[in-house]
Amino acid sequence: MKRKITAGAMVAALALPLTLAACSGGDSGGGSDDATANADGKTLTIWDYESDDSAMGQAWAKAIEIFKQKHPGVTVKTESQTFEQIQKNAKIILTGDDVPDVMEYNKGNATAGQLASQGLLTPLTDVAKDRGWDKKVTGSIATTAQYDENGLMGSGDWYGIPNYGEYVTVYYNAAMFKKYGVAVPTTLDEFTAALAKFKAAGVTPLNPAGAEYPLGQLWYQLALTKADRSWIDDYQLFKNDVDWHGEQLTSATDTISDWTKKGYIPKNSAGLTAEDMGTSFISGKYPIMVSGSWWFGRLVNEAKFDWGQFQFPGSNFALGSSGNLWVVPQNAKNKGLAEDFIDITLSDEVQNILGQKGGLPIAGDASTITDAKTKTFTEQFQKLVSDDSLAFYPDWPVAGFYDQIVSALQSVVNGSKSTDDVLSQLQKQYESGKDDLLNG
Amino acid sequence: MATATETLPGTTPTLTDGPGERRGRDRFHRGPLRWVLLVVAVIVGLLMISPFVIMLLNAFKSPDDYSAHGPLSWPTEFYTHGLKVFWDRVDFPVKLWNSIWTSGLVAIFGVALSLLSAFAIGIGRVKGRLWIVGIFLLANMLPQEVLVYPLFRMMQNIGLNNSGWSIVLIFTVIQAAFGTYLLSSVLGTFPRALLEAASLDGANRWQILWRVVFPVVRPTLSVLLIFFFIWTWNEFFIPLVMLTTNDTQTVPIALASLQGDRMLDVPTLNAGTLVSLIPTLLFFLFFQRTLTRGITAGAVK
Amino acid sequence: MSSAPATLPPQDSTAPTTARRAARRGSGRRRWVPSTYWLYLIPGLAAFVAIIGIPFVLNIWYSLHKWRGGITKMTWVGLDNYADLMHDDQFWQSFRNSVWMIIAMVIIPTLIGLLLASLLFDYIGKHFSGRVASFLRATYYLPQILPVAVAGILWNWILNAQTGALNQILKTLGMHNPPDWLGNPSTALPSVMLVLIWIQIGYPTVIFMSALQRVDPELYEAAELDGANWWARFRAITMPQIKPETFVITLTCTIAALKVFGPIYVLTRGGPEGSTLVPSYYSYLNFFDKSKVGYGAAVATVLTVIIIVVASVIQLLQNRSARKEERGA
Repeated sequence: MKRKITAGAMVAALALPLTLAACSGGDSGGGSDDATANADGKTLTIWDYESDDSAMGQAWAKAIEIFKQKHPGVTVKTESQTFEQIQKNAKIILTGDDVPDVMEYNKGNATAGQLASQGLLTPLTDVAKDRGWDKKVTGSIATTAQYDENGLMGSGDWYGIPNYGEYVTVYYNAAMFKKYGVAVPTTLDEFTAALAKFKAAGVTPLNPAGAEYPLGQLWYQLALTKADRSWIDDYQLFKNDVDWHGEQLTSATDTISDWTKKGYIPKNSAGLTAEDMGTSFISGKYPIMVSGSWWFGRLVNEAKFDWGQFQFPGSNFALGSSGNLWVVPQNAKNKGLAEDFIDITLSDEVQNILGQKGGLPIAGDASTITDAKTKTFTEQFQKLVSDDSLAFYPDWPVAGFYDQIVSALQSVVNGSKSTDDVLSQLQKQYESGKDDLLNG
Repeated sequence: MATATETLPGTTPTLTDGPGERRGRDRFHRGPLRWVLLVVAVIVGLLMISPFVIMLLNAFKSPDDYSAHGPLSWPTEFYTHGLKVFWDRVDFPVKLWNSIWTSGLVAIFGVALSLLSAFAIGIGRVKGRLWIVGIFLLANMLPQEVLVYPLFRMMQNIGLNNSGWSIVLIFTVIQAAFGTYLLSSVLGTFPRALLEAASLDGANRWQILWRVVFPVVRPTLSVLLIFFFIWTWNEFFIPLVMLTTNDTQTVPIALASLQGDRMLDVPTLNAGTLVSLIPTLLFFLFFQRTLTRGITAGAVK
Repeated sequence: MSSAPATLPPQDSTAPTTARRAARRGSGRRRWVPSTYWLYLIPGLAAFVAIIGIPFVLNIWYSLHKWRGGITKMTWVGLDNYADLMHDDQFWQSFRNSVWMIIAMVIIPTLIGLLLASLLFDYIGKHFSGRVASFLRATYYLPQILPVAVAGILWNWILNAQTGALNQILKTLGMHNPPDWLGNPSTALPSVMLVLIWIQIGYPTVIFMSALQRVDPELYEAAELDGANWWARFRAITMPQIKPETFVITLTCTIAALKVFGPIYVLTRGGPEGSTLVPSYYSYLNFFDKSKVGYGAAVATVLTVIIIVVASVIQLLQNRSARKEERGA
């Protein structure tokens, strides 16, 4: 008996320190963002997850070089992170003390918005005005830089600074178009006719991946053919209610269903991943791929046929947004240095490198780009930006919507649910998520 | 007749009977049946490793070859550039070392901790042992999301954040929970006679643990060593949260860095996985030898 | 070693005398003073309380709040999260899939594992060589060494509807429209189960082989001398002897089946159309994608409670069986 009590006491004694450690964790790392911002140290820690040989990686390497010249006594530490690590764990890691000074982070309500509303990021509104970032980052690109207290993008303080962009386009296999006598379509009808022509010749034209983002992006693009800016604002920014059985979404869903029945979209694409879709295009099996600028570099390297891109016809809008954001954690110790670095990445010199490497800069001069494909690629984007035609992505408004859209569209391709049912299902999830977001 | 018979699979127990008579009375007749069974076992083995064959095919394939011809094609050339780039970029040797030492320590500490606790529970039959085992099992039952926030805070407050030691500490406990459960179940059926005999000989508890119990459960301990090493090696989620800089990260995190926001570098992932499998496979092969060299209760007598 | 009386271990069900048992039981209680064993438990319990116990309690605490995580404020809501959870169809539906997970991760692999272990240990090891048996065992265990993410990719290459190995083979055999294994709700779950079985088989096989090591070969010899054939020996000697391991495997595989996440995440992400949704994937969606930490904590707590209940039932059965053995019922 006595021994058991002693033993129990020993257990408690050993466990006690750790217990205290866990429980007292709540308020550690109180970030004082006032005067200490100027008491910067001698290091700048940067976290990013772009590969070194990507356009971003190369441009940022140059930015670091420039930074070192401007700040000779400062050591720059870069940590190459895993996308998943940052994406999922930022909200845990940033509560601590050991945080970077500037970090690449994903844009949107579900990611940067959440961090912002949790108070984990430093507001950069004043700095943005002082340094003129708000002149370089405008329109739809700026939408993803600002978040309100609910974490909704489009208004409020500036929390993240983008320095490049992304958008969705239509890649096509020019060799196959030539072989089957199909012209590059300029209207939606011509596009549909092109699909029919391929199908009649025995070639399935599209292969959108149903298990990941591509099918949802195609669907949204189709909705955009009937949308205007106010519809997009309603959908993305909750300005008004969205009619889930309205023309835009109904026609988009019907079209997907129709195209599957006609064989333009393979019936067995519901389980396909984006990687499968990409490799099937690169191997020359499918002539058309509707997907994003992130494929560009890979196509340049790996596609062995004559290929090109055109904007999705019949639509004033395209999917796209700013690229990933630079954010400064609230608990960062060298905020001044961080801001200098961000400024450098927005400078002409760095932006032009981004452009040349196919990284879609948001500032800089497209005419300095020498490669023809890259030039078309960049100019198409810049036109979308200047026309304010970027419409973001379908899963952005509500947290967890990505999986819902995937599931819903799989039902469409598999033919297991009607358009009405699918839209009602999505509406329910959209409304519930919106409620969660707006009402805390 | 207490011939120490080691149960090496492969040695039929030698008794005073002649070999001929022994064989004749075997469970199955010699001849075709044993070959049939061997073929069955081999087929199962082939089915189990067929996905690995595909992995091998793609580990040394260049990206354009992979995109153009798909995963099932024979590579057009032996391509190692991707692996080399990856190796340098994530500083793979550092990651390998981090994985090796953290998994190794967890395996050793975990087994030791399990043995101590299981000794008390299985042999000592402490009161309330059912509840204690149940509590230990809780470690296994909790989904990892539950643990992550509090553990992160805890590690930070004791200064172990971003250190491999946090991984060692956490996973020693988690794995030992399983180990305690398995060992205590096994020790629960430990032959009392042996314990009594040792105690009669004047051995105290500590000596009994090491001289009587330990040799008998060595096969189980080997199994635990292997499991703990491999399970810790492949742990992804908690290390992802705890280890934030490149010098402390482990192999699974490095492999995950090949998965970007939307793009995945598949051939390099295959090559990287292949390299990552080698230490775990070596560990397994080394320790499974000890599995076949266990000494049974009979021999100890 | 002094010659102890040649008592068979108590587990032997072939007629120990009651007298012997009574003597052992009586002397056992008096000789061993259980409470000093507690010292051996201290390290384990202390570590456990710190690393597992505290977070678990904290998690329950979180589940009583509405919280976005990070440094946002926590709002007390009492049991509201749990009330919401009870009405959450998706969550309860995901438990239906858990039954299939149990079949795929417990029942089938345990049976196959036992068969393979016996085959390798009793037969191949003896009739061919120990090395062959060890080599085969390594190949069976290999899937367990593979990280789940990579296993997902490999199996996607096999099961892919368009370019996968399986469908290529079926096409060459003449099938024109082979099934969309991972994209069709009716075939997705069985496909995932197949992958789970593949992953899981090595685990029981290795444990059972170590269990078979423990069995005293003298028992087999005695039985063989009595003329028992393989099946009779298996039933009378092997199976009772390896009961502890059998229970352990059943329990841990069941827990793993209830908690399974990785393979689902990499193969189907709970799809298509939610046909492979499992409880811990749902909890993960809440914790991370939706940042509803309070709700996610409630989901995790309920999941844990269910696991505890199931595990306790198995534990009780195991203990009842162990006690029966002791009493020689």
